[in-house]
Amino acid sequence: MPQLPANGLAIRRMSASSTPAAGIRTEGPEYAKLVDISRCIGCKGCEVACKEWNELGIEPTENFGSFQSHRDLSPDTWLLMRFTEVEVGGDVAWFIKKDACLHCAEPGCLLACPAPGAIVQYENGIVDFNQANCIGCQLCVSGCPFDIPRFNVETRKVYKCNMCIDRVEAGLEPACAKTCPTNAISWGTKEDMVRLGEQQVERLRARGLANAVLYDPPGVGGTHMMYVVPHGDQLDQYDLPADPTAGAGALAMLGTVRKLGASALGLGLLAAGLHYLGFGPQAPEEDAK
Amino acid sequence: MSASGLGEIRRFTFVERVVHWVVGLSFLLLLLTGLAFSHPRLYWLTVLAGGGATARILHPWMGVAFTLGGVAMFFLWLRDMAIDAEDRAWLRAIRHYALHQKDKVPAAGKYNAGQKMFFWTMTALGIAYVVSGVPMWMPGGVMGIGPFYGGVVNAMRLVHYLATIGGGLFLIVHVYLGTVAYPGTIGAMLHGRVTRAWAKLHHARWETEEGSK
Repeated sequence: MPQLPANGLAIRRMSASSTPAAGIRTEGPEYAKLVDISRCIGCKGCEVACKEWNELGIEPTENFGSFQSHRDLSPDTWLLMRFTEVEVGGDVAWFIKKDACLHCAEPGCLLACPAPGAIVQYENGIVDFNQANCIGCQLCVSGCPFDIPRFNVETRKVYKCNMCIDRVEAGLEPACAKTCPTNAISWGTKEDMVRLGEQQVERLRARGLANAVLYDPPGVGGTHMMYVVPHGDQLDQYDLPADPTAGAGALAMLGTVRKLGASALGLGLLAAGLHYLGFGPQAPEEDAK
Repeated sequence: MSASGLGEIRRFTFVERVVHWVVGLSFLLLLLTGLAFSHPRLYWLTVLAGGGATARILHPWMGVAFTLGGVAMFFLWLRDMAIDAEDRAWLRAIRHYALHQKDKVPAAGKYNAGQKMFFWTMTALGIAYVVSGVPMWMPGGVMGIGPFYGGVVNAMRLVHYLATIGGGLFLIVHVYLGTVAYPGTIGAMLHGRVTRAWAKLHHARWETEEGSK
């Protein structure tokens, strides 16, 4: 039996479990984070708050010709502000992406995970990894359309942003939202955040950013971290997939290969059985010689 | 089986038999645990190797056993595995072989062409398992190569899965032919001997060669 999470939150579903979680509470608000990129000043206070609250290990920063603190997410860095210099209308613009788990409604990681209860989706929309049940196979890494989960070579488990689930359970907002000095990160019900995001998009469009969009990709059922993207026509420059799906890329191919493999091996067994029934054993004729 | 009165011939040495079972048993466990990881509905197979995390830890180590055994096996049997003109004739008659029409199948030597192809295919698949398996086992990199996170691991997983389909099918055929389809065969891998009658039926040229000794 998989170990259940220690919190009291209602579970919507767990990885590799065909029966629904036995939660009694099945209704409640879904929460979401809204990241308004147009309001971000690139201070990286959210990165620090994330490290502090979640007590994640310190990793030295590196100057590689960017304002970015680290090159990539890691098992100890669940949130990374990615800075990309882009030319927009002859001017240089800084595209900043708050890179962390988007908490998809249809999580590719959860769908790919073979270990019962290693990935848990709560009724409130949070997708969390339960390392007690993780077997370290990294299928979630293959399954994520946003390249978020990171494997720790020493513990041989996978880690990512848990939306400060312990804070949320206690009625608080996630640490990154709490600390943001410009309110670029908002926290509330999914409904409210979608409404707020649409208002921000309207505001940006009125200011001349005609391509501003709310990033809440339907291919993964929507996400619980959404972005207000000022230059929605250049999603790739933000490192945001235009149309991510839970079955994207490798997972879809692996799914096909799995079906192919299961069919091939099943048919192989069947063929061997039928061959035996049809032709029987071939033994030497003892008396012939 | 010595009831035929023709006696027995030794087919495999002690070392060959040990190496065969190291490779065979490790491959079987690798296949079952690998299938367990490949799909949630097959996860229950992990109990065969001590449960999820244990199976996951054991899988690559069983791969090490498979690899070492496979390398030994390759060099033990390489000498006998060259495909010659008689093998090509055998392959042209493979349909008759499958239909148990032995009189229409050219006499085989110690190994028939099907067994030789099994050898070469498993060699290729074995290389594929190791090359694609190591990045999944050590995604942080190994011996200065890597790291392999993300795209490389995904691609390698795909290779690993495809190779598994091939290996799984070969295992089914191999076990079927070696046990129920051709009685008297499995003894070759248990105590090392087969009967003269068995050898005449399945490996007539080899039986003749052995008879002259």
